[in-house]
Amino acid sequence: MISAIITIFAPIFGGFVYGIERIVRARMQSRMGPPLFQPFYDFFKLMDKRAIMIHSFHALMGIMYFIAEWFALAVLLLGNDLLIAVFFHVIAVLALVIGASSVRSSYSVLGALRELMHMISYEPMMVLMVVSFYLVVGSFDIKDVLHYSGYPILHLPLVFFAFLLTIPMLLQKSPFDIAEAHQEIVGGPEIEYSGPFYEALYTGKWIEYIYVFTFVFLFGGSHYWLGAILVIFSFLFVNLLDNSSARLDFRRMVKFAWAVLIPLAALNVILLALI
Amino acid sequence: MGFFSKFRKKSPWILHYNTGGCNGCDIEILATLAPKYDIERFGALNRGNPKQADILLVTGPVTKNCRDVLRRLYLEMPEPKVVVAMGACGHGGGVFRHLYNVENGVDNIIPVDVWIPGCAPNPRALIDGIVEAINIWEKKSKDKEYMKNHSKDMIKNLGVNDD
Ligand code: SF4
Repeated sequence: MISAIITIFAPIFGGFVYGIERIVRARMQSRMGPPLFQPFYDFFKLMDKRAIMIHSFHALMGIMYFIAEWFALAVLLLGNDLLIAVFFHVIAVLALVIGASSVRSSYSVLGALRELMHMISYEPMMVLMVVSFYLVVGSFDIKDVLHYSGYPILHLPLVFFAFLLTIPMLLQKSPFDIAEAHQEIVGGPEIEYSGPFYEALYTGKWIEYIYVFTFVFLFGGSHYWLGAILVIFSFLFVNLLDNSSARLDFRRMVKFAWAVLIPLAALNVILLALI
Repeated sequence: MGFFSKFRKKSPWILHYNTGGCNGCDIEILATLAPKYDIERFGALNRGNPKQADILLVTGPVTKNCRDVLRRLYLEMPEPKVVVAMGACGHGGGVFRHLYNVENGVDNIIPVDVWIPGCAPNPRALIDGIVEAINIWEKKSKDKEYMKNHSKDMIKNLGVNDD
């Protein structure tokens, strides 16, 4: 029941998460920050702009990104299989990449290529995480994970740590905001979207917040208070990292993911399987 | 003037472009974004992307090389949009007036809605100018801006004669 509500109102909850994030980020920089409803004001403002599109396929792919992102969240929360939710998320990102590489703007194409680099970095990590859930709980079913009476975090400390450092790649946060890079390629894949079509990408990002933090929540098992603490901790940690670090090269991101994060998670999985 | 127009004033997104000024104005703009004045309180963001911006904030006297870029930025912004010219340079050239490489002010190229005087303007003057721009912006419609009662010269400068 709760998961159905979260799925249906995902853009609204995600908007609040984004609003809180903007306030938290501003307070970390000792600013006041915008009001909590700011993302929705932006949403309504963008509704009111003249719709300009590059070509219809480009606009369609922007909307596809939003729908596929929502669908991936629905599969994660309502459906049964964690692994399938991970793969539907790939479809959402691919829609973004295809749309961005269908226009002639070089920034957009560069952003699309970097988005693929993001995918190379975080996708194996996601799959490893789901596999480690399977080893602990004995099922890919989200209901079984949420009814697991032990503490998954105690079995998977290294996987949790690795996922914590993967979140900046998923949400385009600072050490790894390589595809978006606002000072460098001005938003990357989203540069050519405007008005109502940009809105689809803007809200797709909000849904991604819910998607990512649901995975964090799963580390608490059936102890929802632990899940909530983990979500709040990782939210603050990611924002702190975002505010205090500079952007890395995309090669460093891929190297970091493949040389540090994935071996760490794999080590944890191997130890689990042995013991 | 639909339901959504009410929310315009809550989220003005700014595109800042320096057309060859001395950078004094740009430093003041950054000061406005910094903690002391913190213009994000009002929802304003510096987007750096014409397709997602609402307010075009121009500084500098418009050098000959910048002219076409400025025109393109203006035409790429989706309506409704407002143009704010900041600093003495933008108002007819300032200290650069009548140099060989200068177009003498922003309104020789694109139509300007709000002027912010000063060299360089105080951040408070800038915020005042943005508020003024928002008031004008709220009354604008979604129609193509350059099709409406601009002089023949302006249409020619914009290069939209045959549009
Ligand atoms: S108005 Fe003055 S401070 Fe601003 S760019 Fe021109 S010369 Fe510099």
